[in-house]
Amino acid sequence: MVICIPRFNVYIPKDVSDALNALSQRKDLIPMGGGSDLLVLIRSGIVKADTVLDLWPLRKELAYIKRENGTVRIGALTTVSELCESDLIKDVRYAGLADVCKKFSTPFIRNIATVGGNVGAAHPLSDIALMLLVLNGKVKLLSKNGEREVNIAKFFKGKRRTVRNHDEIIAEVSFTETPPNSSTAFIKFDRRWGHAMGYVLVGAYMQLRDNIIKDVRIAFDSTGNPYPERVWTTEEFLKGKEFSDELIKQALNNVLPKEMKRITDYRASAEYRLDLSKVLLRRALLKIKSRIEGGG
Amino acid sequence: MSVIPREEWDKYPDIEITLNVNGKDYKVKVKPYERLLDVLRYKLGFTGVKEGCGRGECGACVVLMDGKLVPSCLVLAVRANGSKVLTVEGLAPEGKLHAIQKALLDTYAVQCGFCFPGVILAIKALLDRNPNPTDEEIKDALSGQLCRCGSYLRFIKAVKLAAQYIREGKEYFDESGARG
Ligand SMILES: Cc1cc2nc3c(=O)[nH]c(=O)nc-3n(C[C@H](O)[C@H](O)[C@H](O)COP(=O)(O)OP(=O)(O)OC[C@H]3O[C@@H](n4cnc5c(N)ncnc54)[C@H](O)[C@@H]3O)c2cc1C
Ligand code: FES
Ligand code: FES
Repeated sequence: MVICIPRFNVYIPKDVSDALNALSQRKDLIPMGGGSDLLVLIRSGIVKADTVLDLWPLRKELAYIKRENGTVRIGALTTVSELCESDLIKDVRYAGLADVCKKFSTPFIRNIATVGGNVGAAHPLSDIALMLLVLNGKVKLLSKNGEREVNIAKFFKGKRRTVRNHDEIIAEVSFTETPPNSSTAFIKFDRRWGHAMGYVLVGAYMQLRDNIIKDVRIAFDSTGNPYPERVWTTEEFLKGKEFSDELIKQALNNVLPKEMKRITDYRASAEYRLDLSKVLLRRALLKIKSRIEGGG
Repeated sequence: MSVIPREEWDKYPDIEITLNVNGKDYKVKVKPYERLLDVLRYKLGFTGVKEGCGRGECGACVVLMDGKLVPSCLVLAVRANGSKVLTVEGLAPEGKLHAIQKALLDTYAVQCGFCFPGVILAIKALLDRNPNPTDEEIKDALSGQLCRCGSYLRFIKAVKLAAQYIREGKEYFDESGARG
């Protein structure tokens, strides 16, 4: 029996500084978090790897969820299971992350998939990255020469392409704690519940005061580019106005379609996806309102 | 396994790892690109570890690594270095059935059985954390275990029965007394 297995070497670093040194000296290294995305791509021949840099030993330093001084910091090597078992997602403001957990793949993938890898995958169907967009999150990049923070809205460049330089690793994602009268929601729509990719994914954050939309951020799996993005014009349209059925109807019919370009593929047509985007955004906003008002 | 051209023999040097599988220590030489699945199944002979899809989608290859359910098709063998692995072979002592296996037989859930090693370990991972799961919790815990024969509804019954056996202190049963 001949099976074609892609062959590659693995560099196992001792710690963060060893990993950064190796990256600065060698051009052939591809960082790997959990490998739930990368190993599949290597095996199917989409990514050619000479040497994989196994970041798992960095979990000693980069697996954590911290809430200090009004900022939530999540280490890049925190697994999705760890995020989903944390107290963070029990906070009603971050109920959108709990929504992500309910639909994120399967228990055994959640045990290996990392938060940093979800951002690094730069894929339209990166659920956590999408929620970080609506939480106005930042990605911390570390290299031998120092660190920099990039707003996640500026992090993606294309499908599986990000602004990360070769010698950098994603060390952390973070966001500012949101105000008390706010919440989030995430909806992934598919024919099945478990193990779903989603025809359309939407994430939203909203702050309401006296039924006025003080602030709102909305992101979809795609609005034209092959990575998740915010719908800035729709957000601007909603901001500062009173939350009502009529307002949402206007946003969905007159504003959203102008800034969203959907694709047709074997899974769904562009027309269907646009229609679904409207329906799901309405549901997400209603869900957030009910969450702020004490409902589920 | 693939045929490696002679000139590449040195390009991917062997790495020696230690693994504790089902309570026994092993030293194995592995290639950097080999998966935990390859090592367990083809090098150590634990054929209860099945390869279905090889890409994290079917759950046939799952094992417990340091107590956590992982897809052995997406874990490189070098990453498993030093860890404790449980495969279906190590679930019960020789000649005995584990309560989970007994419950699956009692509920007539077994059809072809290909998915079973994975299903059994996924149930074990669930019951280790949660001795009395609800239907919803069972569905989530087994959401990654694809069963071509479609025994899904019986899995739910079986998990409840297994949980009951374990709560009653009946963890192992004689293989000879099992129905099926
Ligand atoms: C069966 C299956 C189901 C899935 N379901 C979902 C789902 O429901 N939702 C979802 O969002 N995703 C899903 N995924 C995709 C994948 O599991 C997630 O994107 C996951 O979060 C990736 O994390 P990882 O640590 O495994 O990434 P890896 O595979 O290790 O890496 C992904 C990419 O990011 C880079 N990278 C990873 N970590 C770092 C780092 N610290 N620094 C720099 N670069 C880094 C890698 O080089 C690679 O390009 C699924 C995958 C599979 C196989
Ligand atoms: S073979 Fe590993 S999940 Fe299918
Ligand atoms: S019993 Fe046949 S695949 Fe599950």
